[in-house]
Amino acid sequence: MKAPLIVVGLVLALGPFALTSQSLVNFAMLTVVSAFLGQCWNIAGGFGGLTSFGHTIFFGTGAYTAAILQTRWGLNPWLALPAALVTGSLVGAAIGAAAFRAGLRGSYFALVTLAFAEVFRVLSNSLDFTRGGLGINIPLGMGAGNFQFADRRSTYAVALAFLVLATAAAAWLKRARFGARLAALRENEDAAAALGVNLVRTKTIALALSGGLTALGGVLYAQTYLYVDPAISFGVERSVEMLLVAMIGGAGTVWGPILGAIVLHIIADVSRSWIDTPGFAPMLYGVVLLVIIGLLPRGIIGIWERWRA
Amino acid sequence: MRHTRLTRRSTLAAAATLAMPSIARAQAAPIKLGLIHPVTGALAGAGGRCRLGGQLAIADINAAGGIKSMGGAKIEALLGDAQGRPEIATQLVDQMAEAGAAGFTGCFASNLGLAATQAAAKYGIPFAIDSGIADAITTRGLKNTFRFFPNNTTATTDAMAALDAINKKAGSPAKTAVIVHEDSEFGTNSVKLQAAKLPLIGIEVKALLPHATPTRDFTNIVLRIKAEKPDIVLISNYENEYVLLARTLVQQRVELMSTYSISGGGFNLKFAKEAPQVAENMIDFNHWHNPKDPRATAFRKRVEDSGQFYSWELPFGYFAVKLLADAWERAGSADKEKAIAALNASTFSDHFMPYGPTKFTDGQNSGAHPVALQIQQGDMHVIWPDSFADVAAVFPRPKA
Repeated sequence: MKAPLIVVGLVLALGPFALTSQSLVNFAMLTVVSAFLGQCWNIAGGFGGLTSFGHTIFFGTGAYTAAILQTRWGLNPWLALPAALVTGSLVGAAIGAAAFRAGLRGSYFALVTLAFAEVFRVLSNSLDFTRGGLGINIPLGMGAGNFQFADRRSTYAVALAFLVLATAAAAWLKRARFGARLAALRENEDAAAALGVNLVRTKTIALALSGGLTALGGVLYAQTYLYVDPAISFGVERSVEMLLVAMIGGAGTVWGPILGAIVLHIIADVSRSWIDTPGFAPMLYGVVLLVIIGLLPRGIIGIWERWRA
Repeated sequence: MRHTRLTRRSTLAAAATLAMPSIARAQAAPIKLGLIHPVTGALAGAGGRCRLGGQLAIADINAAGGIKSMGGAKIEALLGDAQGRPEIATQLVDQMAEAGAAGFTGCFASNLGLAATQAAAKYGIPFAIDSGIADAITTRGLKNTFRFFPNNTTATTDAMAALDAINKKAGSPAKTAVIVHEDSEFGTNSVKLQAAKLPLIGIEVKALLPHATPTRDFTNIVLRIKAEKPDIVLISNYENEYVLLARTLVQQRVELMSTYSISGGGFNLKFAKEAPQVAENMIDFNHWHNPKDPRATAFRKRVEDSGQFYSWELPFGYFAVKLLADAWERAGSADKEKAIAALNASTFSDHFMPYGPTKFTDGQNSGAHPVALQIQQGDMHVIWPDSFADVAAVFPRPKA
């Protein structure tokens, strides 16, 4: 049964390289980016139960890292990738250390991440270093050496590589001892602590890992749209999208965020293309989400699990 | 024997039948034009008005016989809702380009315009910006991007010149100012220039008072203004905060010579009608039509008669489309390169904006300038420059 699934997956992943339609490639690219960000959220939120409402903190950190490195210091944008991995991880570690040492979990942790996202938004809105509310324009200079691609298939390739990386991390968590510790504390923190799991350390590492990967998504965004500002980088909508993708697909599973992103993007695109009445498409999108959440508490992947059972 | 009479009617019918295929052949294919705006979300109101302006222009052009040099080709609108998200604006450009779009207009907000023009540049499709003031839209070297309307540098520089002229004409009574501004891109950008330029026109800045968006209570800010006793208050913020601040200034009985905003978010006819006592004699530096041009008056009446609220976004959307149509007309083709060449050589003057004929330098119409507006007796009037002013400025305003 696995072989056909692998073939379908490969066709879906590699198919866009054969497409000539830029809009279809763009659709695939947006879906893969969404799946990647959902997977990043899933590493902390799904596997570790660290339900974050402010994961855009890391996305924005990566976006600003890319923009500032180029515009202030004239560095090559490819260097933004390792830099964002570091800054995203550091921000994740700092927030994790502060929140988990204070014993925050569940809805309290969710609110703290939301508050941190707002703090980052206000800071980036106020500091000259980030050009305040003006945002940062990245100079246009198409070329692979400049990490700006005229052909969306190249952007898609980078996004796909990121998704493979994040999915590999999720698959590793599923098998590794560290992942088992995360799952243990997700199910019952007190029991996990009694078994010798260092809660603060384990959760902080998970958030740092998730944060570092999420920041890569911010770099890709900055290099694709060449403009970052506080609302784009730290707005709550992106956090919600990351969370939804993972939840709809199946949080805490390796393939859930990918399924979630595919379904959500198809619904969003179809409703946008077919319905011209302003406001109706987002409303339909919301209704479909409610139905999925109501009928499938384990996410779409729950259907597969039920079928196998 | 029965003869078939050849009547005039039957002759005409036969001629029409014979001619039909050639008439059908002569009907030019429609030109597809992508209109990309945020029509849902926080920017829906203004974005929707830009779209409406564009649709009115398309209706007018088609009703007048389409693009005549192309055999009367009609313009067909492709409508897209960017939802305030640059990635959706880009996606729409791709979809419309593949649907055969020969041109684009949009996108109301600068961040959408930056993303969409860049995406359209990959196809070399001409893009007429209808609103989006950021200089960078036309300074990045994109060959396909044209803005008929003013950019940010022009708007803020002219605003200080206008204030200086209005103040000097009244004998320079205003010596001090307080600036109230919202703390994101729009307010931050304006305030830096204002704070630097005001001393150069003889006005001392007594305080800069930033506020967040949204802010739901301006009492503290207004009390600080009251304590500073400035002659004028300069305002740079969005619609709700603008109206709330203006109301609070009146409620707290702050004595001012005037308020002066640059692209005041809430300075519009709706505000003038709903809060006439508050709005009366407020001054704003903003986009507007040439009030001396009867076509402008007729256009406004047409919009208002249809039950819509008239604002500057309507002529912006309208003339972005007209600018492209003029290029197609002169090029005699919707070919991308020919249309871009025609836009570069454009001297488009069939408009009622206070600009004169177009002259594009790197895609920016160098003749485009905003005007100083004042609400007088519940209506919007141009008070500067004199060449377009339809009333004299009331400055300083009469004491309550």
